[in-house]
Amino acid sequence: MLYGKSLKYVFHVIFHPADGFWDLKREKRGSLAAALTFVALTIVTLALEKLDTAFLFNDNRLSKVNVMIDAFTVLLVFGLWCVANWCTTSLMDGKGRMKDIIIAMGYALFPVVLIRLPLVLVSYCITAEEGTFYYVFGFIAYAWVAVLVFAGTMMTHEYGFWKNVFTCIITVLGMGILMFIGLLFFNVISEIIVFMTTIYKEIRFR
Amino acid sequence: MRKKCFRRALTGIIAAAFILLPAITVQASMPYDTYSYNYWGEEVKEPHSYLYSKTITDRELGSRLSYPQDMFVGNGCLYIADTGNSRVLVTDMEGNIRFEITGLSAPQGIFATEDGHIYVADTGNSRVAEFDEEGLFLREIGRPETTLIADSQEYSPTRVVVDNAGRIYVIAYGINMGLVEFDSSGAFQGFMGATEVSVSTFEYIWKNYFSSEAQQERMETIVPTEYSNIFVDRDNFIYATINNLSNEDRESGADAIRRLNPTGTDVLRRLGNYPIIGDLETVTYGWDWSSFVDVAATDYGCYFILDQTDGKIFAYDNDGVSLFVFGHSGIKEGNFQKPVAIGLNEDESRVYVLDNLLNSILVFDITEYGRNLLDAIRLNSIGDSDGATKKWQAVLSRNSNSELAYVGLGKAYLTEGSYREAMECFELGNSKKYYTKAFSYYRKEMMERYLTKAVGILAVLLIVVWLVRKALRVRKWVGEVRCYMENH
Repeated sequence: MLYGKSLKYVFHVIFHPADGFWDLKREKRGSLAAALTFVALTIVTLALEKLDTAFLFNDNRLSKVNVMIDAFTVLLVFGLWCVANWCTTSLMDGKGRMKDIIIAMGYALFPVVLIRLPLVLVSYCITAEEGTFYYVFGFIAYAWVAVLVFAGTMMTHEYGFWKNVFTCIITVLGMGILMFIGLLFFNVISEIIVFMTTIYKEIRFR
Repeated sequence: MRKKCFRRALTGIIAAAFILLPAITVQASMPYDTYSYNYWGEEVKEPHSYLYSKTITDRELGSRLSYPQDMFVGNGCLYIADTGNSRVLVTDMEGNIRFEITGLSAPQGIFATEDGHIYVADTGNSRVAEFDEEGLFLREIGRPETTLIADSQEYSPTRVVVDNAGRIYVIAYGINMGLVEFDSSGAFQGFMGATEVSVSTFEYIWKNYFSSEAQQERMETIVPTEYSNIFVDRDNFIYATINNLSNEDRESGADAIRRLNPTGTDVLRRLGNYPIIGDLETVTYGWDWSSFVDVAATDYGCYFILDQTDGKIFAYDNDGVSLFVFGHSGIKEGNFQKPVAIGLNEDESRVYVLDNLLNSILVFDITEYGRNLLDAIRLNSIGDSDGATKKWQAVLSRNSNSELAYVGLGKAYLTEGSYREAMECFELGNSKKYYTKAFSYYRKEMMERYLTKAVGILAVLLIVVWLVRKALRVRKWVGEVRCYMENH
C-alpha cells in the first residue's frame, strides 16, 4: 500500500518540484522501491522508443540495436550521477544521504516515461510534416527532467540556487573523473592479469 | 547390382555437375564485384549489371595503340585518340579499323558530332582540328584571342566537345577559369562553368586575421580546380568531372561531378542519400578517394562515371542515387590498369572503357538484370509507369535488396491508390520522403472511412449520458418535492 502511494506521489513531485522533493525527503512520502521502478520504466521506455517508434521517426537500424547496452548506459549514467553527486555534496555540506539522492533522481526521471512513452504511439499517427510536434515534445521531456534533477538536488541537500548550480557543474566534472578512474582501474587490472599470466607461463613452460 | 546402381548414380552426378558448372561459374569468374550503396551507406553486393565480354586489342585495330588518352563512342563508331602515336583511329563497334587520321601531335581529346564530323583536341599543336566523316581536314581552331590568358601561358587543349548548336567547349591544360567556349565559327566566346572557390568560415577568419605573412603567401594557392573530362548529353548539358580535389575538399562535400547548363550553372540533381563522390568509405581504410576521369550519360539522365583510383565504374540515376558499381583495377583479364575514357553505345547495352596502359579497349555487355534496371528508369522518365512497374518487379525478383526497385514500385502503387502497399514498399526502400506522402493519403482514407462512424458513436454515447443525468436529476427533484410536501 505504501509502495502504491509512493508511486502515485510522483505526480505531485513532477508538477510541484520544490514542494514535492522537500516532502519526498522530510515527510518520507517516497520510497526507494518506487524510485527504482521509475528507473526501470525509463529503461523500458527508451528501449520501446528505439524498437517500436514508427518508421518515419525511427532512425535506428533495428538489426544493430542492442537493448542491453542501452539499459546499461542508462544505469551507468544514473549511477555515476548519484555517486558523483554524493561525493561532491558530502564535501559541500549537503544534507542528503545516498538513499535520498537515489530516490530524488529516480522520481526526477518520470517525465521521460510520461511523455516519451505515449509519443511512441503518436509516431504512428503523424506524418513527417507534423514531426515538429513530436520532436518538440520529445525535447520537453528531457528539459523537464533537467529541471527536476536540478530541483531535486537543491531540495535534497538544502542548497541555495547558485550553490546548487555550482554543485551540479562539479557533479558533471566528477562523473568524468569517475569514468576516468574506472577506465584506468580496468586498464591496470588487465595489465596485472596479463603480467601474472605471463609469469605463470614462464614458470610453467621453463 | 547395388554397385552398378551406385556407379550409375555417381556418373549421373558428375555429368550433372559438368552441365551445371559453367552456368554457375560464369558469374563467379568475373574479375570484379558489382555492388551498390544502401540507405546506411554500406556496400551491398548485387547481381552483375554488366559482364566483361572482351578486349579490343591490336589484333582488331591492326596496329598497336600507344598511351591513348581519349575515346568517343557514337555514330556506330569508336573514335580513339591514340596520343602516343599522334593519330586518331576510327573503328566500328567491334574494333575493326575504318580509317585513321595522321598529321596530329599527341592529340588528347576527341569528339564526333552526329553528322560524323570529328573534332580533335590536338594538344601538341595547340589547336582543335575538325575533320569530316571521311577523315579529311576541314579547319582548325587555334589559341583563343583574348587577354584573359597570359601570353606566357601555353595553350594545350586536352578535351573537346561540341553541342547540338555547334558551340565548341575545350578543356585546356592549366586554364582554371572553366571551359573555353568557341561559337560554331570558331570565335572565342569566353569561359564557362568555372568552379567557384569555396572557403570555409574558419579558413577565412584564419587567413585574414590570424595567419602570418609567410602563411598567407602559401595559402594563395587556393585556386579553382580544373575539369578532368567533359561529356555533352542530348539536351546540350555538359557533364564535367573533377579529379584533383584534395582530401579536405572531399570531406567537406565538394562535388566531383557537375552537370552544366549552357550558361555554366551546375544543375546536377543531388537527391540521393550520399554525395556523388564514388566510393564512400575510403577514408576509414586509408585508401584514396575515387578520382573521376570520364563520364558518359544516357538520354534519360543516368550517367556512368569512370574512376581511376580503383578502376571502378559508378552508375547513378538522374537524381544522383547510386545504381551500381562495377569493374576493378588489377591484372586479371577484364581488369583495368589505368582507365582513361568511357563510352556507351546507343542503347547502353555495351560499355567501352579505354585503358591507357593496356593500350586496349575493354568491352562490357549488359545483363538481363542490368537491362531491367535501366529500362525501369527509362520508362519511368517517359511516364510509362505500368511498364516501369513490370521492370521493377523483374529487378526485385533478381535482387530483393534493391531499395531503388522498392521505391520505384512504391511510386507505382502510390499513383494507383494502393497506399498500404506503397507504404510497405517505401519502408523496404528506406524512403521516408515518399513514405510520409503515402502515409498521409492512407491516413486520410482511414479517416474518411471511420471518422463519421466514430463521431456518430461518440455522439450517441454523449446523448445517452446526458439523458441519464437528466433523468437522475428529475428523479432527485421529484424526490425533493415529495420530501417537501411530506414535511409540510
